[in-house]
Amino acid sequence: MSRDLSRRTKLVLYGVLLVLAIPFVFPTWWMVTSSLKPVADIFAFPPQLLPTNPRFDAYQRVFELQPFGQQYLNSLYIALVVTVGTMAVSALAGYAFARIRFRGQNVLFLVVLAGLLIPSEVTIVPLFQMFFKLGLVNTHWPLILVPIFGAPSVLATFIMRQFFISLPGELEEAARVDGLGRFATFWRIALPLSRPALGAVAIFTFLHSWNLYLEPIVFLSSPEKFTLPQALTQFVDAYGGPMWDVQMAAASMTALPVLVVFVIAQKQFVEGLAHTGLKG
Amino acid sequence: MRAGKALRGVAVALAGALALTACGGGGEAEDSGPAKLRMTVWSANEAHLKLFNEIADEYRTSHPDVAEIKFDPLPFDTYTTTLTTQIAGGNAPDLAWVFENSAPDFVASGALLPLDDALKKAEGYQYEDISPATLKLWQNDGKLYAYPFSTSPFGVFVNTDMVKKAGQKTPAELIAAGQWTWDNALATAAATATKSGKAGMVIRDFDYKGWDNLSTFWAGWGAQAWSQDGKACGFNSPEMVDAMTTLHRATFTQKALPGPGTTADFFAGDSAMTITQISRASLLKDGGFGWDLVPLPAGPKGNYAVVGQAGVGVMKKSPHAKQAADFLAFLTNPTNSAKLAQFFPPPRQSQLTAETLAKTNPQLKPEQLQKVVIDGITSGVVKPSHSGQAELSQQVRAGLDPLWQPTADVKAVLDGVCAKIQPLLAK
Amino acid sequence: MTQTDTRVGSAAAGPAPGPARPFWTSRRRDQLTGFVFIAPQLLGSAVFVILPLILVLWYSLHEWNVLAGTFDFVGTDNYTALADDPNLGAVLRATGLFSVGLVVLNLGLALLLAVLLNQRLRGTIVFRTLFFSPVVVSLVAWTIVWGFLLQDNGGINGLLDTIGVDGPNWLRGESTAMVSVIVVQVFKNVGLNMVLFLAALQGVPAELYEAAEVDGASRMRQFWRITVPLISPTILLTSIITVVGSLQVFAQIAVLTQGGPGTSTTVLVYYLYQQAFQFHHFGYGATLSILLFVIVLALTVLQWQMRKRWVFHES
Repeated sequence: MSRDLSRRTKLVLYGVLLVLAIPFVFPTWWMVTSSLKPVADIFAFPPQLLPTNPRFDAYQRVFELQPFGQQYLNSLYIALVVTVGTMAVSALAGYAFARIRFRGQNVLFLVVLAGLLIPSEVTIVPLFQMFFKLGLVNTHWPLILVPIFGAPSVLATFIMRQFFISLPGELEEAARVDGLGRFATFWRIALPLSRPALGAVAIFTFLHSWNLYLEPIVFLSSPEKFTLPQALTQFVDAYGGPMWDVQMAAASMTALPVLVVFVIAQKQFVEGLAHTGLKG
Repeated sequence: MRAGKALRGVAVALAGALALTACGGGGEAEDSGPAKLRMTVWSANEAHLKLFNEIADEYRTSHPDVAEIKFDPLPFDTYTTTLTTQIAGGNAPDLAWVFENSAPDFVASGALLPLDDALKKAEGYQYEDISPATLKLWQNDGKLYAYPFSTSPFGVFVNTDMVKKAGQKTPAELIAAGQWTWDNALATAAATATKSGKAGMVIRDFDYKGWDNLSTFWAGWGAQAWSQDGKACGFNSPEMVDAMTTLHRATFTQKALPGPGTTADFFAGDSAMTITQISRASLLKDGGFGWDLVPLPAGPKGNYAVVGQAGVGVMKKSPHAKQAADFLAFLTNPTNSAKLAQFFPPPRQSQLTAETLAKTNPQLKPEQLQKVVIDGITSGVVKPSHSGQAELSQQVRAGLDPLWQPTADVKAVLDGVCAKIQPLLAK
Repeated sequence: MTQTDTRVGSAAAGPAPGPARPFWTSRRRDQLTGFVFIAPQLLGSAVFVILPLILVLWYSLHEWNVLAGTFDFVGTDNYTALADDPNLGAVLRATGLFSVGLVVLNLGLALLLAVLLNQRLRGTIVFRTLFFSPVVVSLVAWTIVWGFLLQDNGGINGLLDTIGVDGPNWLRGESTAMVSVIVVQVFKNVGLNMVLFLAALQGVPAELYEAAEVDGASRMRQFWRITVPLISPTILLTSIITVVGSLQVFAQIAVLTQGGPGTSTTVLVYYLYQQAFQFHHFGYGATLSILLFVIVLALTVLQWQMRKRWVFHES
């Protein structure tokens, strides 16, 4: 632990922290305040920190120009399904890789780990072809199946494995003595203990799905099926010029709920993350 | 600010390119029932679409073999990428608008149906009324592959309030005095920018990336991006070096043009003047300032004009190509052409009169129409275009980037551009 | 990990029946359970990762003209073209610069923030929340906002102007463009590494510092001699994750610079996108994908080797 600090040092530290916080806070601040300004004020120089005549027109127009409510629901339900699915897949696989000894374990782990290393730009074309042949283009299936079973879930499996490795072996010994099978041990003993890691997986996965951009633009083409990040880039006038206030209003609506949830649950959030085993 | 644009470009290109990689499937089967036609356009403007639909409805009452005509607006800035990928992906429209910069690719690709017969045979069409100059870009081996429904000249929009407030002569006054030259235009822009604290002259959609819009400038010096046959690079010609030197000085020394990375929208009142096509006049309605539209200033080579063109063609692969061509003939016949003229300057000589155009362009005065539109269409050079435009355009953009620095060596940069693109031009 | 058996797993699925012992030994049972447990993940990887990768390899042996609709086998022509590509040097240089810059800045800032937040100071939780908040903001929104702020007349230079600094034209200068792209990415995600470092710092036993204090070691010396070695596994792991992530940067480049000015920010993923999706050189795009994969793979093998040496608390 760190030691107590003198008053002067504390002041200096606060000063440093405040200055460092600017680039983290300013963009979000600008995004939200711009959504309340008329376009001409967004471009005002020097920038207005507070909107001089705040107005909410842009928020209304977001819903007029796009089926934004539907798009919100799409993003939300896809992210939830993907989160639950990923938790199941990664907890099982992570547990097996960490606690069960079977042949080929290492090689298979490496094979799975490969998913962590392949940028989605690389495999998006063949993936599109596969889903096209299955008739699943312009549906939400690719956005659900690929993250749960494909590359994005690998990080989750990795986190779970690292966590399960750190569990003391005696717990399982005790379970075995009590006559529990593998699955029961996993379900009744290991899984409840892994709540912090599962929490981290849930957060990672939800954010990943919520922010997914490349896959939706590739797989979806009807506005009522769009997800939020994709919808964000659609607010333009007839000549392709961006409608700044509307775009920022939509972006604010996308970001703020997640930010609020994060601020409320930030303790669990950050501490869960800290216990992922990613710390090495 | 092109951030959103860039991202949408990426989105569309990816989605489209992927659609076409999914070979097989897709392609519409030949069907014998009443045809459903789809036409891709880049305008989502309600007034435009309303007019199209009116014309389409009228056509369908006399043509029961066509059940539906749908106008499908694709985003403006990624239009061509979306369209080409739709075509290759087996989801081609029946008719499509085509920009001038992709005209060579489309006309030569064999994707479009030759239109000569359909148009010439159509009743009351008056094919010979179409100005031959406007057709050149859309022809290959003597066949016409797309109809130039819009031949839109570039002009200079002026915020007269801002210019007067800065104590400068307005461009109209300069024209009256015979002094509307680039030297004076830039001086006016620079002085107004200094006085107002806003931007002077904005070459719209250039933004130090869309370099083909600079042809509205360098054409005054007689420069061109490449030779007529498209084989020789023109960027390091003496005319181009002169033009670019002037532009560079105007940007970095004179500050007549806003520098790279500065947002200034004329129609929001951020700049004194802007060079753009007259169709953008529609953006002025709530501008809240006095404005004027004047021709491009004279360059060292005298007066000149530049036009942007748009054509509409019929996809050869369409199962209803015949009906589509027939509808195109209807859409562009003299009656409908006159209706379309309110949005898109027509190629028909008989309709290129100030009076005709004035009826449907209430925002523009007859002399503005005469000077900018009619004179522009008859004498204008078309913006540069070449086959393989996407790659070529990217190479030129990357090559020109070093020019947008205050200390750039103009000649060296332009030599560099030629070194980059000559292999592509020679292909 | 104590496993040393690295034979391919499928061979283990068919057990040879032993004559005397009961068939379902605990070992066999584990073998089966293990496979059942990893099956969803493994099948998913096969279908959604390995198979597409093989297909990309196949594409890279073809000249695929998407506009004309042709798909012709050309052998290794694309790989020859790769070796001769005049842009490749600049692209790899930009890719390397971006990765190195990102890792150094990201880890440096993450460590600095973690050390600051690890002080006994009221309200660190507030700052921790602020520093972490960009992680939960959508990448697209974050980048679009920064793109605006970084304009010559944008918010950054506006702020700098108020303190009398004349800011550069960030996205238009060759070096400042690269710096901008890196910095935007750092601020977006440094919170993640910060939290991991914070956890690691809190795991360093306080007695070690007390002992050092008694020995009269300075704060600096304590940091380098005690803190850094003890959190080195975290440093290594975060750096590897950050490097791999840095090679996949795409949306940021597309929004902020489109690879320019010149080719100064054309990283490999962006170049791949240009070739395949803008110029319709699909086979060549696939070839670049393979190159990207090989680079990432090489770095990962390096990771695996270093893990063995560095990570000591895995049994």
